[in-house]
Amino acid sequence: MSQEIDRQAVVQARLWSGVEPPNRAGEEFARGLAEIAKGFEAQRGQLAFEDEPSSFEAALDELKETAR
Amino acid sequence: MTAPAPGAQLTRLSLVEAADAVRKGEVTSLALTKAALDAFSAGDKAVNSAIALHAEDALEAAHGLDKLRTAGRSLGPLHGVPLAHKDMYYRAGKRCTCGSKIRKEFRPSYTATAIERLEGAGSITVGALNMAEFAQNPTGHNAHFGDCHNPWHLDYCTGGSSSGSGASVAARFVYGALGSDTGGSIRLPATMCGVTGIKGTQTRVSRYGAMPLSFSADNVGPLARTARDCARLLRIIAGHDARDPTSSSEPVPDYEAGLDGDIRGLVIGIPTNFFFDGADPEVVAAFEAAMKVLEARGARTVRLAVPHMDAVNTYVAIVSRVEGATIHAQWMRDRSQDYNAHLSGRMYSGYAIPAVHYLEALSRRGPILRTVGREVFAKCDVFAAPTIRMKVPTLAATDIDAGAPGSVEAFAAISANTRAINYLGLPSVSVPCGFDSNGLPIGFQVQGRPFGEGRVLRIADAYQRDTAWHTQVPQLVSARS
Repeated sequence: MSQEIDRQAVVQARLWSGVEPPNRAGEEFARGLAEIAKGFEAQRGQLAFEDEPSSFEAALDELKETAR
Repeated sequence: MTAPAPGAQLTRLSLVEAADAVRKGEVTSLALTKAALDAFSAGDKAVNSAIALHAEDALEAAHGLDKLRTAGRSLGPLHGVPLAHKDMYYRAGKRCTCGSKIRKEFRPSYTATAIERLEGAGSITVGALNMAEFAQNPTGHNAHFGDCHNPWHLDYCTGGSSSGSGASVAARFVYGALGSDTGGSIRLPATMCGVTGIKGTQTRVSRYGAMPLSFSADNVGPLARTARDCARLLRIIAGHDARDPTSSSEPVPDYEAGLDGDIRGLVIGIPTNFFFDGADPEVVAAFEAAMKVLEARGARTVRLAVPHMDAVNTYVAIVSRVEGATIHAQWMRDRSQDYNAHLSGRMYSGYAIPAVHYLEALSRRGPILRTVGREVFAKCDVFAAPTIRMKVPTLAATDIDAGAPGSVEAFAAISANTRAINYLGLPSVSVPCGFDSNGLPIGFQVQGRPFGEGRVLRIADAYQRDTAWHTQVPQLVSARS
C-alpha cells in the first residue's frame, strides 16, 4: 500500500497543485501517508457527523474555565 | 542602590526578579541589556540560538528606559527587561527570516501585536532567535542558519520549532522569549531545554504579524524560566486584537495574582491511554515523582481515559501539514530546492491528502472537544502527561536531511503528546521535572479547560515552589559566572 500511495502522491501533487517530488524525504513522507490512511479507515463508523451546525470555537467557549 | 552585580550573575535572575530589580532601582536596564548581550557573545558561538542581535538598538532603548525610570515613569511590568524572540515575529522594517533561505531578506512593513504589547510593557528586543525553517520541525535542525544546540549538551536537540527560544532562555542569555506552538513548538523546546513554556487556548493570543504555518493550530506564547515569568508575559500578550479577528474577546485574568501555591483539592487527571504509549521508563519515573510533589501540596490524582485519542492522533497528523502545504504552494512550485529537505519533503506529502479527509479532521474538532469536556473535565480540573515520551534525542539521530535511519518516524514520535493538545485547542504548560541519564532535561505538561491558563500556571508555579529543576543551569552558564 505504501508504494501505491507513493505513486498516487506524485499524481495528485502534480495534477492538483503542480508540485513535483522535491527529494527522497518527500517520497518517504508520502509513503508515511499509508499509516495515516489506516487511521482514517479505523475511524469509519466510529464518529457520526452531527446534523446541527457546530463550531470548534463554540466548543471552546462552551467548555471554558469559569473559576479562575 | 546596592552594589551592581556582575553581569553573569544578573543573567541568572528570573524575568520577574529582573523586572522588579529595575523597578526598585537596584539595577539599570542598561546593565541587564549589556549582560544579555555579553552572555550571547560568551556562549552563543556554541549554542547558535540567535540569528541576529540588535545590540545598538537594544542599548539605546535601555538607556531611554533608564532615563524614564529616573524620571519616575514606567512603561509597564517589563520595564527595562531584555527579551529576544523567534525570528518569525514581524517588526516593521526589520529583517525577519522565518529561519529560511526564502525569506532571508524579508522585511515586513508592520509589527506583530505580541511584539508591540511586550515592547509597550517596557521590554527590549535584543535579537531574533534561531528556529526551525518556517517553524516546521520538532528538533531544532536548520541548515540555513546552522542547527541550534542544546545548552545542556551540544550534541542533543533543543526541540523545535522554537529552538532558539528554548536554548537562549536555558543558557541564561535572555529572561524570556516568544515562541510559537502549532504542534508543540513552545513546549518541546521548553521540555528539552529545561525551561517553562505555555501555549494558551487556541485564539487566546493574537497572531497578527506572526508568520503563519497553520490557520487552525498556530499559537503565540512565551518561554521563560518560571511559571511566574510565563504568567507575566502571557497576561501582556493575551487578549483580543482587532487586527486578528480570530482572537478571543474572553477577558484576560491577572494570572500572576493567582499564583498563591494553593492547589489543595484540585484534581489532576493522569491518562491511562495514549500519552504513555512506549514512554521511556526514566521519563515515566520523573513524571510520577512530579505528581507526588503535587499530591503533597494537596492535589488529588485520578487515572482516566481521554476519549477519541486515536481519532485525534490521526486528524492532527494532517491538519497542519495540509495548511502548511497550502501556504507554501507557490514556493514549492518555484523553488522547492531552497527548503531544507525535511521540510519540503513533509510539505510535499500534504498535496496528496484528500480534501474530504482534511475537512473530516476539522469538522470533528468541536464534537471531540465536547466529548473530552464531558468525559475528562467532569472528573478532573486538569490533566497531565509527559511533554515528550522519549529522552531528548541527539541532533544526529534525527537528521532527516542527512538520511539518519528512522528520523522521519522520530519527527512524529517527538510531538505525539503535544500536537494532540493543539488539535483540542487546550491551554498547556510544560514544566521541567528532572534529568535523564544523559543529563538532559525531562518535563511534563498540564492541560486545562479552554481559557484555564490561570489554573495550569497555578499548578506549574506550585510545583516550582517545591522543586528546583527550573533553577538548574547548564555547565556553560556556570562557566560564565
